[in-house]
Amino acid sequence: MTAIVPYLEFARKAFAREATYREDVLTEVGSVVLRVYLLRQVWTALYAHNVAPAHLPYHAMITYTTVALLMSLILEVDGTRQIRTRVRDGSIATDLMKPISVPLFFFSDGLGQTILHALLIVPSLLVALLLVRVDLPDLPTFAAFVVSFALGYAVNFLVNFLMNLVAFWTLETFAIQLIVRWVSDLLSGQILPLTIFPAVLGRVVFALPFSAIYSTPLLIYTGIIPPARWATAMAVQIAWAACFALIAATVWKAAQRRVVVQGG
Amino acid sequence: MLAAFLASWRLNVLTILEYRANAYLWFAFTAVYHATAVAALAVALHTFPSMDGWNMRQMFFLYALWMMGHELHNGVLFGVVSVPDFIREGRFDRFLVRPLDALFQVITVPQATIPDGFLLAVVTFSFAAWLVHLRFTPVATAAVVLTVLGGAMIDFGISLAVATVAFWFVRVDALRWAVMSLEQEFTRYPLDIYSRGVQLTLTFILPFAFMNYYPASWLLHKAPGAVHLAPQVGVVTPLIGLACTSLAYAFWRAGLRRYQSTGS
Repeated sequence: MTAIVPYLEFARKAFAREATYREDVLTEVGSVVLRVYLLRQVWTALYAHNVAPAHLPYHAMITYTTVALLMSLILEVDGTRQIRTRVRDGSIATDLMKPISVPLFFFSDGLGQTILHALLIVPSLLVALLLVRVDLPDLPTFAAFVVSFALGYAVNFLVNFLMNLVAFWTLETFAIQLIVRWVSDLLSGQILPLTIFPAVLGRVVFALPFSAIYSTPLLIYTGIIPPARWATAMAVQIAWAACFALIAATVWKAAQRRVVVQGG
Repeated sequence: MLAAFLASWRLNVLTILEYRANAYLWFAFTAVYHATAVAALAVALHTFPSMDGWNMRQMFFLYALWMMGHELHNGVLFGVVSVPDFIREGRFDRFLVRPLDALFQVITVPQATIPDGFLLAVVTFSFAAWLVHLRFTPVATAAVVLTVLGGAMIDFGISLAVATVAFWFVRVDALRWAVMSLEQEFTRYPLDIYSRGVQLTLTFILPFAFMNYYPASWLLHKAPGAVHLAPQVGVVTPLIGLACTSLAYAFWRAGLRRYQSTGS
């Protein structure tokens, strides 16, 4: 059990570090609240002039959008982003010499930032509730949502970790990361529910791993995935997490052998 | 000054030629950034075919018009977004001791950027113009060119103002990110759908609506809509751009006078 102590300390450090930049934190809350406000107007205009899809009445869409934005406060944290700078300036070499698991170090650092961002959800939610009406699910549904969100968090962490490991092979990874992020925002269901994607595209997006990040928890929350299908939906999330964990472990092993000291 | 400007462009092009793979990656990023936005629009408009009287083709035209001004600014004047980094790292001080205007020096720091995104924007716009059957009469052509130039100036004025905030608060990453993403996300919809406060803000305070909404309403012969300005105001974008840049420059001068080095 003592093995976990240093990692808790890493998480605490990351939390304290992020909390120093108060204006940044306030800007983030403000930006999410503003998005909730503007997106409500966008959806209001779209629902006013068109026939609503049967499974997604107006209030369900507003709930989906608002919860997705609050989730993004947590899911946009990327603790593994430091890999890039650490490979660039060579400090990854000393990290590897320390008697800790480096991937777990990144995970705890990200977790520390995540906890700060999770606390941000409270003020954002309170202000957002003044602007929009969000449906509240019953307790079992909410519990299933939380479990599914945790699984989505794991998939998201592993995808980010894998992307950042590219830094061991080519030093410029920022563009790749941003590309994956934009594609992921669209295909994970963060921007739009995947259920409104047309025909074939709709089947493709559900078959991709990105849907495990936002879509599954959100569809559970809004009741589009009924309780009878919760187990299957979460099994798919677990399968993706396991699959990425396996790939990440393999790539991490190869990366350690490839550490090239950049000098300086 | 012209010689310095040309020399900085020579360095930009040489850097691009040296790091070709990197340049391709950043171009891919620009393409994906806009492609995901258009894809999200297309998916939403597939389920909800009309947005307050605007159809998918007209919405695509609206986006492409914004994209040209935005990418022109990104390709030529992107240097200002680095000001907060320069200040934090103490590198800003060197601009103040040299015999050229500090802002001019910031813009001409070689960034390894060429206006490749702008070329992509021109191609995208040509396609969008063809889709909405825009007739390129001399007047319409002049209006498009002036909109793009004025639009780039609006974009520049606002990013200069955001960068200037860094003279007071050193870390403005979150603010910059919020303004950039809100701009891309919400200028893609016609202004009519927003509440009056948002319409007034996007017209008079952060005049993004002049980058695309007003000129597009005029070019597409839309009835007067948002805040009851006649569609003809679409042609005043260059004046708005000039005003926006001048105000931002005055703010920048005030910031410079107040500036104290971080000492790092």
